[in-house]
Amino acid sequence: MITVNSLDSRCPQPIIDTAKALAELEIGVVITLLANDPATWPDLQAWARMTKNLVVQVKENVYEITKLS
Amino acid sequence: MGRVTGNYQSEKPLHPKACALLANAFDSGWGDPRKLGSSANLAKVMRNEALESIAGHLGLRFDEIEVLGEPSIGHGLAIQGFLGEKSRLFYSALDRSEVIAIARSLTSCEIPVDKTGAISIEKLRANSPSKDDVFALQLANLETGVLQNTEEILKACSGAMIACDATALGAHARLPSRWDSALFDSRSWQGPAGLGILAIRSAANWRNPLPHIGALRTPNSYSLPLLLASALALDAWIDDARTSLVNVRALNKHLRNEIARRIPNCDIAGELDSSLPHITSVSFLYCEGEELLHALEKLAITVDSGSACTAEDLQPSHVLAAMGVLTHGNIRITLPLDVCLQEVDLLIESLMRIVAEARSK
Repeated sequence: MITVNSLDSRCPQPIIDTAKALAELEIGVVITLLANDPATWPDLQAWARMTKNLVVQVKENVYEITKLS
Repeated sequence: MGRVTGNYQSEKPLHPKACALLANAFDSGWGDPRKLGSSANLAKVMRNEALESIAGHLGLRFDEIEVLGEPSIGHGLAIQGFLGEKSRLFYSALDRSEVIAIARSLTSCEIPVDKTGAISIEKLRANSPSKDDVFALQLANLETGVLQNTEEILKACSGAMIACDATALGAHARLPSRWDSALFDSRSWQGPAGLGILAIRSAANWRNPLPHIGALRTPNSYSLPLLLASALALDAWIDDARTSLVNVRALNKHLRNEIARRIPNCDIAGELDSSLPHITSVSFLYCEGEELLHALEKLAITVDSGSACTAEDLQPSHVLAAMGVLTHGNIRITLPLDVCLQEVDLLIESLMRIVAEARSK
């Protein structure tokens, strides 16, 4: 599984990193994002709603993103 | 300070009439209305006229009003004055940090909001606030402009004391049909900063929560010229608003529609039909709020931002997060009463350009 490391990056960088990583992948692929900015979770959820993708918080600072569009 | 190409910050320049009054008052001095003598008597008459005028415009009784030299202390007075040993404090996820700070020191219950910012009536009913409890009811949210359906909320918490936060609502609408305390901020009607109006309707149930001697309900440490200037500014605002707010709402609708149509991946907080007419909070995906703010400033356009990069504590806006709105790349636009279509179109064009530039980096 692809892991995107955005630890210690300030938002919106983790969201930008996620979008860049997904851009080159097929529909249905799941990636892991590591990020500790406090805005990551609310912004990931808003990003998923706006771009029609799926996000799940696995544990603190760890998120799984499924490419759906 | 006059208008630049576009001042869309929430802090507006003081109304010219209020400015002139303040300059004159600070030049010639004023008496203390609590003392004896002719200058004190004149000050008392002027104070009472100002309070009568403010009371009339806000739908309050003269004897309900307390004037505060520090509006933010009013949140504590408005809420804690009604708290007893068994009380719980109910508040919404959109409430101001002053209210959240009070809630953290008490038995409290935060009521979530939906994507439009409306308080969850279902969650409120499930927790059934009783007559011992206090509901901190924010009538309008300063960050997004969202208005609450107050009558529905009142039905869901019948019996609880209602402490209204009208600091953003100002004179845009009357208070709900039932309330026990209400806090206003003079800045909401373009009056001076540092002047709050606290109205206490249920005086029999209210106790001054601050250490005090005697019967004074509040510190009474406000500046008389600020009160007079505030009353004058409210008079002027009511006159201007009567003719301007319909136009402002139409231009805000145009602003929101055009941003949504012409700038991809933007997230507008709340719906204009259930918001104050002059505020729009919008977030742009993959952009930094601070960068957008500075890019607009270079074009002589000033706005506010709720993004973490512009906050002192670097935390994302709890208001935007509670509504599920993107917290980064946020700007808040507060339209002045005399805004025109050309200015709004210039703002839209400028936003299109700077968002595209920010995303291309």
